[in-house]
Amino acid sequence: MNPKAVYKYCKHLGCCEACCLRYMGIKNPNAYENVANFVLKYQDEVDKPMRVIEQSQNIASKITDTKENLFDVSIREDLNNSNGNSLDINGADRKISNGDSDTNPPPSKRRKLDICVSCLGVLQEDNWMEGYVLVKDILFKKRYECATFACALSAPITTLLRERAITLRLADEFPGYDDKILTALKEAWKWSFGVKLATEINKTLDSGAISPLLITLNYDYADDLQELEILKQVSPQLFEERSKQKRRFVTEFTRRSVEQALQNASLQSLRAAGGGLACAGARAMCVGAVCTHAPNYLAGRYIKLSRHLPQSPWILEGKRVLPSSVQEIIYKPLADLYNLAAEQADGRLKLIAAGREDVDVRCLGEGRPFAIEITDPTRQLTPEELASACEHISKSGEVIVKQIVPITREDLIQLKKGEETKSKTYEAICIKLSHSKYDDVSPDSPIKVTPEDLARINSFRNTARNTKDTENNIENSKSICNISGGIKDTTDNLDNCESMHQDDKDTSGVPLRSPDNFGTVKEPNSQDVKDATDILDNSTPLKVKLADNPDNPNDDKNNEIDLSVNVLEIKNRETDAESDIVDTLKSDQNVLDSPDSSRDFLDTSVEVRESENRNNCEDIRIMIQQKTPIRVLHRRPLLTRTRHILELKAVEVPDHPQLFRMFVRTSAGTYVKEWAHGELGRSRPSLGDVLGAKVDMLALDVTAVHLQWPPQ
Amino acid sequence: MEYNILDSIDLNDPAIYKSFTERYFSKRYLLNVNGIKNNDIMLMFHSNRITLICLAPSHFFFKKNDNYTLNFNIGKVDRLSNQVKGKGKKGGQALFPDSAICKVEWGDKTAFTIPCGMRGTLVEINEKLVKYPQLLKESPDSDGFIAIMLSSIAITDATKKELITHEEYLKIVNV
Ligand SMILES: [Zn+2]
Repeated sequence: MNPKAVYKYCKHLGCCEACCLRYMGIKNPNAYENVANFVLKYQDEVDKPMRVIEQSQNIASKITDTKENLFDVSIREDLNNSNGNSLDINGADRKISNGDSDTNPPPSKRRKLDICVSCLGVLQEDNWMEGYVLVKDILFKKRYECATFACALSAPITTLLRERAITLRLADEFPGYDDKILTALKEAWKWSFGVKLATEINKTLDSGAISPLLITLNYDYADDLQELEILKQVSPQLFEERSKQKRRFVTEFTRRSVEQALQNASLQSLRAAGGGLACAGARAMCVGAVCTHAPNYLAGRYIKLSRHLPQSPWILEGKRVLPSSVQEIIYKPLADLYNLAAEQADGRLKLIAAGREDVDVRCLGEGRPFAIEITDPTRQLTPEELASACEHISKSGEVIVKQIVPITREDLIQLKKGEETKSKTYEAICIKLSHSKYDDVSPDSPIKVTPEDLARINSFRNTARNTKDTENNIENSKSICNISGGIKDTTDNLDNCESMHQDDKDTSGVPLRSPDNFGTVKEPNSQDVKDATDILDNSTPLKVKLADNPDNPNDDKNNEIDLSVNVLEIKNRETDAESDIVDTLKSDQNVLDSPDSSRDFLDTSVEVRESENRNNCEDIRIMIQQKTPIRVLHRRPLLTRTRHILELKAVEVPDHPQLFRMFVRTSAGTYVKEWAHGELGRSRPSLGDVLGAKVDMLALDVTAVHLQWPPQ
Repeated sequence: MEYNILDSIDLNDPAIYKSFTERYFSKRYLLNVNGIKNNDIMLMFHSNRITLICLAPSHFFFKKNDNYTLNFNIGKVDRLSNQVKGKGKKGGQALFPDSAICKVEWGDKTAFTIPCGMRGTLVEINEKLVKYPQLLKESPDSDGFIAIMLSSIAITDATKKELITHEEYLKIVNV
């Protein structure tokens, strides 16, 4: 197959130079960038632009000579009717008259081209100005700082039909012609228009995989749908089916449906339907440009100091319940930096947090990890701007954000995964509302939290100790020590925290650490192991059999997604024999030492048997079963889930004998409020069950969300 | 900076001592249901269309000192076999105001049924009552609740308006 012959043939059909190169299979971007120079080698002497008139005559006569079908005649007729330059039926005259009209062109103006029968003018440089103008206009308004761009083409769909009509003719004319060599219109357009656009807008053209700024140009062609009508003849059953399912297919002709229809089209079927190469009445016009920048992501942690602040706006029946939210406080300075109006901020900014706390729960320590997605950002914020945003947020008095850093989209995975897998530490003020069944006091005496109560809470466990993971146990114990130390004297604790904070900064390089030293989840082989003292070992572990029977919560709640199961670890734990369960039950009764009170624990032991240990790398002190809380039951499935209390420590509250202060670390997805009061027995064994008394929670703080964030 | 949890709440504010049911539910009463004296039912409405069915403290049940068991087999349906699927609680038994939610059978072979008082879908029976029927007597407005049902907003709102409020109830039973 002779390239020159293909070039000539395409030229005869009415292709522009660039389209000729496409059908020849030219893939060299430079060829398209300098198409006029590149095609010289394929042109006969007689065809060179210097001799435009002869060339036109030549082509015209060839077309007339071939007279291969009615279709080609119709091209010329249509051209003449629509072009307006010539009323002459003779195509050759039309070209001549074109040439004539350019006899005195301004020096810069090139010869006006005819509309390419394939690209409909998309690749023809004379038509590009309107595209530049549209793009420049948008860029002027949006002012992206991005130095690179990628461009995308939305071409008339009929260009697909036309390509097929041409490749079928080529295959007919040149046996062995492979239509797979065709260079895609959008590629040729990037290499030609895109390169010129780059100089026009003073940005570097890059691939869409690299540049975050995407410029899409939409070309409209008046006869697009009308020309595609012939496909109903070419592929009748496809479009019959589609019209039957009209509700599914809003428009009959989509790129997909057209591609499908053309797949099996033959030259005969196309010709029978009219040819598919109708003469373009008017060129495709660039009617719109859309510029979008890939989202930016920012990461930080928020501290929430208010018990009257929801994470996102709380609106009930169209009315605000509370005036502000964490989200709005964080959005405000970012929206200002991006020049977004308040209503825009809502659509352009998105808060992605590692879970959420209730309105009345504070989030202290290092705060809760979050990310902000900024849709179509015009630029990256500078470190100074981000620091000022933090300052503004913290001025609210309700939310503190110490640091915001840019992250990548991939980093979000860590955030989501952390939300589903990482434990959380809470501090709570609880109240004992009835005498404990273990209390030996007169029913009329005041209710008091006794040292025995505290000891019971601090030693309770309903699981076998995980001895396979000493490091973790020790690590956990160390955390408890820190808490208990801190409680005796709050001011001392504060000082300790400060120094610990410094130490942590020096040794681990983690910029933010929580005062209670729960802030960062350490690796099991942490160097700190040597410092640890195990104060948890004063309880007699109850043996329970752990079966790997994964319950599938299948829940929509973000922080309740199942953890993956380490099957090996579970198998290790399964070695406890069935008879141990009996021991467990007996042991339960001994420990609890009251025939009527053992009921909940008996139940629980049985349920624990059925549950699995998913958090197997940690020592689980208490396995609990939680039904979906009533407060979310209207919108979530009713399920019973196994959750874990990993650490638990209670201390007295001076001057408030009925209260106790509790520190608890739970697995992800634990409803800690419901665990404390038991929610009418729907969460078991509850803190109240452990104490043998009615218990409620007066205040709750999240003190640590154990996730390394922002990523380093 | 220190944000002591004890400083974050006002321990003198009685609001923080509200019980779990006081916090989340508003109580309504149906008295002398089906013309039976002191056949008194309490419905606890959560703001989210969830309602707990309980015995009102004035129910004649609390006056009788006899052993009892709870029977959840009502005619052809076993309330304990109730199962709900998904967010929509599909498959839950349909309840009508007169539907019996359970039967209390006394040691003296007499019995009475507890109606559910409102139209809705049965979400959950308090299964603990099967093993520990004493909960019904000991804590009828908390761990001894009978069942959880889910209704439409329209039905819950209308029923709430129609029924006797807690304040009205206190006046009536104190007479
Ligand atoms: Zn072209």
